[in-house]
Parts: sequence; C-alpha cells; structure tokens
Amino acid sequence: MWYVLQRVGYALLVIFLASLVTFAALRVAPGDAITSMLNPSTTPAEVIAEYRDRLGLDLPIWEQYLRYVGGLLTGDFGISLIDRQPVIEIVLNGALATVILAVAAFIVAFGIGVPAGVLAALHKDSPFDRIVRAIGSFFNSVPNFVLALILVLVFAVQLRWLPVSGTGSWKNLILPTLILAADPCALTMRVTRTSVLEQSGADFTRTLRARGIPTRRVNWVHILRNSLNSVVSLGAVQIRTLLGYTLIVEVIFRWPGLGSQLVQSILNRDYPVASALALLLAVVVVIASALGDLVLRWVDPRIRVSTGGGR
Amino acid sequence: MARAARRPFVPRYLGVSVLLWGLLAIFGLLAVVGWIVLMVPSLSTVWTDQSLRSTFLPPFSEGYLLGTDNLGRNFAWRLTAGIGVSVFVGVLVAVISVVLGLVIGIFAGYFGRAADAGTNVVIDVTWAFPEILLAIVLAGVLGPGLEAVILALSLTGWAAFARIVRGEVLSLRERDYVAASRVLGYSKVTVSVRHLLPNLLPITMVMAVYFMAVAIVAEAGLSFLGLGAQPPTPSLGGILAQGRDYLNSSWWPVVLAGGALSIMVLVLNYVSDGLRDHLDPRRGVRR
Repeated sequence: MWYVLQRVGYALLVIFLASLVTFAALRVAPGDAITSMLNPSTTPAEVIAEYRDRLGLDLPIWEQYLRYVGGLLTGDFGISLIDRQPVIEIVLNGALATVILAVAAFIVAFGIGVPAGVLAALHKDSPFDRIVRAIGSFFNSVPNFVLALILVLVFAVQLRWLPVSGTGSWKNLILPTLILAADPCALTMRVTRTSVLEQSGADFTRTLRARGIPTRRVNWVHILRNSLNSVVSLGAVQIRTLLGYTLIVEVIFRWPGLGSQLVQSILNRDYPVASALALLLAVVVVIASALGDLVLRWVDPRIRVSTGGGR
Repeated sequence: MARAARRPFVPRYLGVSVLLWGLLAIFGLLAVVGWIVLMVPSLSTVWTDQSLRSTFLPPFSEGYLLGTDNLGRNFAWRLTAGIGVSVFVGVLVAVISVVLGLVIGIFAGYFGRAADAGTNVVIDVTWAFPEILLAIVLAGVLGPGLEAVILALSLTGWAAFARIVRGEVLSLRERDYVAASRVLGYSKVTVSVRHLLPNLLPITMVMAVYFMAVAIVAEAGLSFLGLGAQPPTPSLGGILAQGRDYLNSSWWPVVLAGGALSIMVLVLNYVSDGLRDHLDPRRGVRR
C-alpha cells in the first residue's frame, strides 16, 4: 500500500512539473493572447486593458500559474483564440477520436503480437519464426508515416479499396489502425518471443512437464503468464510511443483526433488549445507509466519483494 | 552447447569490422553534404531550380535520372540534398544528446543521492512528453524550423541515455580502480573523466548511432507535418509531404524519399547492433 501511495504521489509530482512546463511554453510563446485576439492598432487602449485584466495577464506570474492550475482542475481550460470555443469541448471531441484509434491499434498490436511471439518461440528457428522476425524487423525500421504513405498509395490511390483519409465509415479506421499497430506489434512480438524462450528453459517449466501437465497448458498458461510481465512493462512504454506517432498518423489520415488538433493549433498559434492538449497527453503518459508499474507489481510478486513493502 | 569461435570474415579496426566503419564514414559524408546544403545558399539553385515545362517527369527521363517533382525540380538533386540535411540534423542531435546524457548520467550516478533523485525527476518530466509532442510544442514556441527540431530532439533524446549511463556508473563506481583513485585523493570530476568516461565510450557509440536513427525519423516526421525544415530547404519530410499531395500523378517522390529514409534507419540500426556486439563483450554472445 505504501508503495502504491508513493508511486501515485510521484506521478502527481511529475504531472505538476509537466504543468509548469506547458504553462511556461504558453508564456514564452511569441505574442500573447491579446495580440492574437484583438488588433492593437485599431482597438482602444481601454478595451485592451480590460481584456488584460479579465485574462489576468497583469497579475504576478505565480498568481497566473495558480489561476491556470485552478482552471485546469475545474475543467476550465480557457478559450480557443481561433474559433472562441471552450478548449474543453475541442479536447473532448478530439479525445474520443484518438481513443478509438489508439485502442484499436493496441488491440491489434497485442492481439497479434503476443500469440505470434509465443508461436515463434515455441517453433524457434522454424520458417514461421524466421518470417515473423523478418516482418518484425521490417516494421521496426520503416518509419510509420512512410508506411502510411506507401499503403495509401497502394490501397487507396492505386487499388481504390480503401478511402484516402477522413472519417465516416469503418473502412477509414483500417489503414490508420494497421499503421499505428505495426511497430508496437513487432516490438511486442519480439519481447514475447525472447521472454517465452527464457521461461521455457526455466526449472518450473521442466517440473510442470515432469508432473504430466499437458504441453499446451504449460505453454499457454504457465509460460505465458510468467512472460507477461515484460510485455506489460513494455505496454506502458509503448503508450508513450504510440501517442507520439498517433499525432502524425492522425494528420496523414485527417483523423479528427487530438493529434490533428494539436498540430493545427500550433500552426495557427492557438496557444491555449495547444498547451491544454500537450498537458493532457503528458498526463496520459504519466498515468500509463504509473499504472504499468502497479500492474507489474500485482502480476509479479517478486517485484513486490524487491521494492519493499507488503501488498 | 559451446559455440566455436567464429573467424571474422572482414578485417577489423579497433575490434570493429571495417564494414561498420565504412558505413559510418558514408553517413559522415552525407552529414557534410547536409552542412553544405544548409550553409552555402549560392549552390541552392541546383535543387531549387524550377521548370514548369517539365513537371512530373518519371525517373529515367532524359536529363533527369530520378525524374522531376510537381515544380519540375530535378528530383535526384533534391533527394540528395534532403538526405544530407536529414543526416546532418541526425548527427547534430546525436552528439548533443549523447554529451548531455553523459554529463547528467554521471552526475546522477556518481555525485550523491540528492543529485540522483533530482535528475530522476527531471528525466521523468522529460519522459512525460513523447519526443514528437515536445518537438511540436517547441516548434510552436520557437516557430517552425530546423533549429526548433534540433533543440527539441536533443532535449528529449538525452533522458533515455542519461538513465543508461547512470546504471553503468552505478556498477563502475564499485570497481577497485575507481575506489583506489578516490583514495589517492583525486576529485570526483577527475575520476569521472579518467575512469568513468573511457568505460562509457562503447555504450556511448552504440547509443549515438541509435539516436541518429531516431532523430532522422523524428526530423522527417516533423518536417512532414510542416513544423521542421521550411520550403524551399530540401528535407525528406518535406519531400514526403509534398509527394503526398500529388500521389495521383507521381509515385516516385514518396516511394524514393520513403525508401531512402527506411534504408538509412535500417543501416543505422544494423551499425548500432554491430557496434554493440563488437564493443561490448558481455553482450557479444547472442542467443
């Protein structure tokens, strides 16, 4: 329990510091909110002063930060400088689209990666193993936006089987999901394979076999369970990479998620939106890595012992 | 099963096969090309000269080995210049991240618990932002451009390496010769430079090459989004972004630039793995 509290506390500390970073980025960015909203040469000085006052731009910096955090905590993320919508609405709209894409990619990556890794390990050096590994290292080296463009060229432009970009039908989800899943899938497969290979030589495996437990059960229950901890810790790291690349893939497929919005808002210099989105993504990464640690501890009792403290 | 020692097929230098050094040298050359592209604007007509009478010429057209793009620019030159710029950025980012990672990692691992805890928090905050995200934010703050990309990628790259260096230092500092130097009265800084750094050199080389691959991909991605190199500066990401708009009429910009990018990453990964196997005897034995 103590460890859980410690881990959560640490995650909160990192989130706090990350909010300082996004706040600072918001402040350092050239041109403040006023100059993007009002034209200084045609707006009367009193109006500008009133806006400065309303947005709290004349307050001391720490008070501005407190207001910023207070706003975040109460769900008030500010207002977009471009279309004057509350940032929270923009964020919620985008989050749904991104979550759909990320979850689909995650399911594909683990759904294919784990079984393929186990099979490759069980049939080590077989043609299946070789092919799977070759495909894996291919996906590992081809940057996914390049893969995206090539697949678009083949399946959307040449063969016309799938739409080039946009939303609206399940067909729009296929290409982005596959592309996002490619790299994590390859990595998951490799880690699963290595870790299953390690476990299948372990003493407990031999004992289980000697006790007459069916091979299938030993392979898919006992070995797999013991191999999963490296896959789980990998999962937490992958959320980070996956989110990073979702940004680009969303832009390529004009998928209306957080990534497209982030890039759009940066190019439009719409700082409140950009900073809210950046912080949100950072929070997701921090939570994922904390959850990863906690799940790992729950799955693998050995870690509980080494990090101290009871359950 | 004892494995018979393999006899090296290729000659070696410093224990590393000449093939790897050769590949590294090629990348060095490409980086010089990139430096020239960025620093000598008077040459730029070679890859920016437009000719609207000869747009979308396919590869192997007369006078244009790799054809032309949507503005009739010689694609072979554009691709070469773009590859150079990418590699130049990659080398710069790799060097900066590695130096930062070494300094901060040694600091964390060798200069007491407070230093360790402090750097740990900084690393975790840096890690909270995926590289691409931080680069996008920085590009927003600094304005799009290669400078923003280089800064952003260096600022994120060091964190992973600092963690590795810290781990290595934790084991190195227990060695007898390190303790002996301290007993002889050398300062921690001297010990770091004399004993820790040389021992960290192999892993540094491996990671530098790896960072180059990561940086090259990230730079291309950011330029693809329009946040990196601004036209007319040639860059692989920019070529891909432009090629994407004209996929219907010309496939070669996307395929060739994407292919070049993938091959570079493949080669760098290969070199990085090779260096690891040769330089670090503990990891030399593969399953």
